[in-house]
Amino acid sequence: MDVLTGNAGVFASGFFVTFQIVLLAAVGALVLGTLVAAMRISPLPPLRWLGTAYVTVVRNTPLTIVFFMTAFGLPEIGVDAGFLRIPLLDSLFTRLGTDVPYFRFAIVALTVYTAAFVCEALRAGVNAVQPGQSEAGRSLGLTFTQNLRLIVLPQAGRATVVPLGSVIIAMIKNSALAGAFGVAGDLFQTSDELTSAQGLPAIPVFIGVAAGYLILTVPLGLLLDRIERSQAVTR
Amino acid sequence: MAERAGEPPAAGAGAAAGAGAAADTEPAGAPLVVLRGVNKHFGDLHVLRDINLEIARGEVVVVIGPSGSGKSTLCRAINRLEPIEDGEITVDGEPLPEEGRALARLRADVGMVFQSFNLFAHKTILQNVTLGPVKVRKVPAAEARSEAMDLLERVGIASQAGKLPAQLSGGQQQRAAIARALAMRPKVMLFDEPTSALDPEMVQEVLDVMISLARDGMTMVVVTHEMGFARRAANRVVFMADGQIVEQAAPESFFTAPSSDRAKDFLSKILTH
Amino acid sequence: MMIRKLLAATAVAALAVGTAACGSSGSSTTAPKVDKAVKFEAGTTMDKLNKAQKITVGTKFDQPLFGQKNLKGDLVGFDVEIAKIVAAKLGVPADKITWVATPSKVREEVIEQGKVDFVVATYTINDKRKQRVGFAGPYYVAGQDIMVNKDDTSITGPDSLRDGVKKVCSVTGSTPAEKIKTFLKDPAKQLVLFDVYSKCADALKNKQVDAVTTDNVILLGLIDASGGKFKLIDQPFTQEPYGIGLKKGDDKFRAFINDTLEAAAKNGDYEKAWKATAGKVKPQAPKLPVLDRY
Repeated sequence: MDVLTGNAGVFASGFFVTFQIVLLAAVGALVLGTLVAAMRISPLPPLRWLGTAYVTVVRNTPLTIVFFMTAFGLPEIGVDAGFLRIPLLDSLFTRLGTDVPYFRFAIVALTVYTAAFVCEALRAGVNAVQPGQSEAGRSLGLTFTQNLRLIVLPQAGRATVVPLGSVIIAMIKNSALAGAFGVAGDLFQTSDELTSAQGLPAIPVFIGVAAGYLILTVPLGLLLDRIERSQAVTR
Repeated sequence: MAERAGEPPAAGAGAAAGAGAAADTEPAGAPLVVLRGVNKHFGDLHVLRDINLEIARGEVVVVIGPSGSGKSTLCRAINRLEPIEDGEITVDGEPLPEEGRALARLRADVGMVFQSFNLFAHKTILQNVTLGPVKVRKVPAAEARSEAMDLLERVGIASQAGKLPAQLSGGQQQRAAIARALAMRPKVMLFDEPTSALDPEMVQEVLDVMISLARDGMTMVVVTHEMGFARRAANRVVFMADGQIVEQAAPESFFTAPSSDRAKDFLSKILTH
Repeated sequence: MMIRKLLAATAVAALAVGTAACGSSGSSTTAPKVDKAVKFEAGTTMDKLNKAQKITVGTKFDQPLFGQKNLKGDLVGFDVEIAKIVAAKLGVPADKITWVATPSKVREEVIEQGKVDFVVATYTINDKRKQRVGFAGPYYVAGQDIMVNKDDTSITGPDSLRDGVKKVCSVTGSTPAEKIKTFLKDPAKQLVLFDVYSKCADALKNKQVDAVTTDNVILLGLIDASGGKFKLIDQPFTQEPYGIGLKKGDDKFRAFINDTLEAAAKNGDYEKAWKATAGKVKPQAPKLPVLDRY
């Protein structure tokens, strides 16, 4: 217990770093995943192929490789993910703006990887919407994007909430890899620092770290349950 | 009108119907919908074979035929819900565009009523009807709303406006679907077996709406098994089998004296039971 | 890190089965003269090993320049040569040495359990470890140092990092990573951590970091592998005396090894051992440190 209370600050800062990573990556993955899903169900074959290729490649690649590609592949071609230095946002998430690019690389890796799963969760939801709904939308003269936005996705959303939530929870856990790819001081790395370098006993340290992840994942799970239940009523 | 230009016998039959049975309005001017040499396969199955068909403004064409004859596919091809491989389809002189905004624009002018209603399940009846005008025609919300209420009044379900589709009976849902299509002020209405999914007691309320629509001069293509509707409202009956148009005629002459064996066979089956 | 823990566990398991890794003879780059006629006091460890004509030595198999198995399967490195010098003095030729892989986390254990006769494995002497094992030596004093790109002149030591701008890379959960933090203005902006040093080397190569820090012997290995892209600052700012680990309380054996080291320093074997191994990267051979004869 002393280990936990005595190092509360270390745990808290690790938690904060991890929280930033997963928040940004979750937003990124949802946006990118929706885009890829739109491509996969688009009426234009080239877009469909592109979307399918993305999912096939990314989903079947180990996350470590994706991290490796962002951490070492991007600098190789002169990219430091500077597009993530978004004004205002980088004053909220200070690490976005630093010259150390690995925080950004971690977000890129998690976003790119998770987007493939978000896409598939969305697509499963879209497939669960009766094709007649989209046909009715199309025959009213809605464009593809209007149809997706107004008719299909709102209905897919219901079938998607739970699988999408699982994808995000998996992503939160996957974020632990960031600590092995240049990001100093995330939650998982905290454990390594306290046990390996400072020689603290492993069990209480791991309890502290696990608690950090649970703080992120459990409320999300509960929220999903609630959404699912409230939608069951309206359905 | 087609037959004046000496077009295929099909059109001639249409003209005869126009002079006969139902509508007050005389079909006139260039044909509104034209299908020329249309072919389509589902895998090995040749579902549309060299279809040639012209539908005049204000004309009500009923398409009948045994199941699997391609009549639904024909209907859906007219607004490209089913793409065709070969041939040409024009609506009001414009050929059907490829996927994209142009196609969306054209579809806005072609109303479609489905067998399974396909009302947007997450929107109220009123929202179902206003969605198209607001999002596609850019009609101001208030205006779309009052027009939608008028339409719902006309199909007799104004009191259900605030409900979700699942709360309505099948007949009510189909009438709402008709109102939804009408709200776009379409040039032509396509009905794909609009009463097939209904309980028998609800069929008539939907047919009544369709008949009144026909009387008002709406151009309609109706795929149906309702021979009563065909007799009362159609200008022309098109009989399809095996993906082909086998014969077409004014309703009275078709039902009393079909010329092809396939049509005779089909009619004997549905009229005797 | 997980992977290292796993390796450690695997190694322990392998030892427990008694198959004792592999007994490769090692390529004799220096081949110290074997003392054939030597006699030892009966009952001592030296006597036992001499009579058996067989020694089991723990070393690292993955530490470039100190103890690394090359592609041919031969063990090479400074630690390996030091072990051969000790064996030769015991009258045991190099090809009678059985080598056992001893990653950092299993070193105390294999000594306590008698799985090896001694350990030469970049093994830092400290008081905590002295409570479990004995240490001869030190035979080398390593220290935390800094590696930079060959053409970099802006970093001259850890104090160059105090500017708050330069980025430094180390391995997560390592003592050097903790130590370097004391030189940084803002670790969040300056410290980059990976799970292994090779990634730090990659990051240095593509200029995402300005420096890599850890014990100089590890850095020397990275420099060797880089083909001359990196250089060592050579300003060690910590002291890591490497000792030879043996069973606690075996003071006669400990004194014997210390004598052997001193003799090797005198007759040039020590320098030869360095030149043949780590000297490839750092030609200047170190002096044998003052021994810790406790």
